[in-house]
Amino acid sequence: MTSTPTRWQYFADGIIKENPVLILMIGLCPTLATSVSARDALGMAAATSFVLIGSNVVVSLIRKVVPGSVRIPIFIIVISTFVTIIDYVLQAYQPALYRVLGVFVPLIVVNCIILGRAEAFAYRHGVFDSLLDALGKSAGYGLVMLVMGSVREILAAGTWFGYAVTPAWFRTAPVLFMIFPPGAFLLIGILKGIVNRLTASKV
Amino acid sequence: MDPAKILMGAFLVNNIILMRFLGVCPFFGVSTTVDTSVGMSAAVLFVMTLATWVSWLLYHVLLLPLGLVFLRTAVFILVIAGLVQFVEMVLKKYVRGLYSALGIYLPLITTNCAILGVTFLNIDYEFSLLQSTLFAVGTSLGFALAIILFAAIRERLEDSPISPSFKGYPIAFVGASLVSLAFLGFTSLFGISL
Amino acid sequence: MDWTLILTSVAGLGGLGLIIGIVLAIASVKLAVKVDEREAAVRAVLPGANCGACGFPGCDGYAAAVASGSAALNKCSVGGANVARSIGDIMGQEAGAVEPVVAVLVCRGGKDVAPARFQYKGASDCRHAALLLGGPKACVYGCVGLGHCAKVCPFGAITMGRNGLPVIDERKCTGCGNCIRGCPKGTLLLVPRSKLVILACVSHDKGRAVKDVCRVGCTACNLCVKVCPAQALAMVGNLPVMDFTKCIDCGICIHKCPTKSFIDRAPGRPKAVINPRCTGCQACVKACPFKAIEGEPNKQHKVLADKCIGCGECRKVCPADAIDMVGALGHARKGTEG
Repeated sequence: MTSTPTRWQYFADGIIKENPVLILMIGLCPTLATSVSARDALGMAAATSFVLIGSNVVVSLIRKVVPGSVRIPIFIIVISTFVTIIDYVLQAYQPALYRVLGVFVPLIVVNCIILGRAEAFAYRHGVFDSLLDALGKSAGYGLVMLVMGSVREILAAGTWFGYAVTPAWFRTAPVLFMIFPPGAFLLIGILKGIVNRLTASKV
Repeated sequence: MDPAKILMGAFLVNNIILMRFLGVCPFFGVSTTVDTSVGMSAAVLFVMTLATWVSWLLYHVLLLPLGLVFLRTAVFILVIAGLVQFVEMVLKKYVRGLYSALGIYLPLITTNCAILGVTFLNIDYEFSLLQSTLFAVGTSLGFALAIILFAAIRERLEDSPISPSFKGYPIAFVGASLVSLAFLGFTSLFGISL
Repeated sequence: MDWTLILTSVAGLGGLGLIIGIVLAIASVKLAVKVDEREAAVRAVLPGANCGACGFPGCDGYAAAVASGSAALNKCSVGGANVARSIGDIMGQEAGAVEPVVAVLVCRGGKDVAPARFQYKGASDCRHAALLLGGPKACVYGCVGLGHCAKVCPFGAITMGRNGLPVIDERKCTGCGNCIRGCPKGTLLLVPRSKLVILACVSHDKGRAVKDVCRVGCTACNLCVKVCPAQALAMVGNLPVMDFTKCIDCGICIHKCPTKSFIDRAPGRPKAVINPRCTGCQACVKACPFKAIEGEPNKQHKVLADKCIGCGECRKVCPADAIDMVGALGHARKGTEG
């Protein structure tokens, strides 16, 4: 019999058991598009996490006064506020990263992870629990982004976070395929296959 | 920019799903059969064109003159959400056939990053209203091409012998990788590099 | 603190939100669609299988069409007469009769009698296999046998048999037509339940070409056309076409066919029995297509039970009302009950 999740589980679930990208299969677009290198991937994860944490907390704060029928537009406004903030912050302080992420920064507003968590969790739980949930999902998302970004960068450029980690002969002819969209699709397919295999054997 | 190049660029060279990674969630969610894919494509074409017009007008007539450019994220997504709901009501009342055909896909489009993405790209590329329309139509057609092609492949995958952990999403992603590889071949077609 | 900017943005966004809200609120009232209660009532009596046999998109679609008066009330073959009657009650009209139909496999070419041309190792579905040179079977017209019909049947009425042909459970089959629409070869047919004799071959070839690829395929030998007492069969393009209005279900064609290409849906057939009223006129001996009656002139005739197929030809010609069809009530040739 499963008891109501403890506070710690709100956080821990988001990392593995309910990992947003590999288990819940939401928020795929920015994951595939921006995981070209480990640093860019983590940058995107950080931006998304900022919005996720912010919106979860605010939605949870105002949940008692928001009428059910208009809650989705209200969520959208809250989320877009945070997205606009991070948009301009990145433009000002991390212009290189902003150029790489491009249109995907404003697109955080339609990232299913954020709207999904606001609707499924923050609207029904207290502020601290929503914060934990957001932190957990952010950690999970960051983990996936780190893995994808690292694999793609190592295979396609031979570096990790800009540092050379492969022999020189590899770096002269790396697997450029991984930088392009086909590489991203293939990588996430293999990752999902591995996850399926691991979860199946646990059952 | 040459209208033909805009269309071709949006349709093939920079295919919205397979090259730009916008609209990937519905791409995998809806492409299980060809019929649902056609329905979704129709809905996307419809909403994307309308959203492009309304967002372009709002941006150039309201936000730019008033110096409220930073509100574009909030404004665009609100407009799209409201538009989809309004269109749903109009269709339900006056064009019942289309409403039944589009079914549940209409409300699903609100969070489709392809729609919002195109409205932002129109601003970034500084398109005129006509160019934006062409871009939206070309993009929707590219969406339709990718999703219908992929649905046909997935229908075959259903009956093929695949190892259990790869059934479903994983093999679909691998399939998408191969289709995307094919589309990579369109790079620099007609000298387009949009 | 740039108050003007803050004020304009609050006013702008707030104003936009207000406008959108008002427009949507007005729209939800002005564009409200009146819900027809009868539609809901009709929908409630429909089986909910969404099979599409009625020709409308799912049960919701049929309910809407019935309520708006644009559909006949007896289209639901899954629900049958009961549902038609209920719909009639709701709409206050008479529903027409529902002809019960059943899906039948019109191919007898199983693995044992119809060999394969090549080994197929592709996607395990009939529609895919059929695209490859017409399928792995030597006969390109025949059932592919990979079970697409079993997959699409919403009622679980089809299972694949040991010889590679689908087996249709007639008790579960509702005649929805999903399997017919999905079959790439057209070897599934919707047949009125009252029809007992059906030709089970769709090969357009004749003679040697058929025999080479299937032991039970129709070779267009014309024998069935000749022996049919009701002239219900006519050869059209190497296949005998049956006129259902003329066919009397006697079963003669089934037994006369040299390749056994007909199927008999009757669970049982009667046998002819000659009673003491027999005058020995030999009419029945001459009439029997299977030489199943023996008898000396003016002596009591006797039916050889193992040769008799219950066609009733003898009964038709007996002047003394001396022949009874016994057993398998209700499945005898039309007009020979009792």
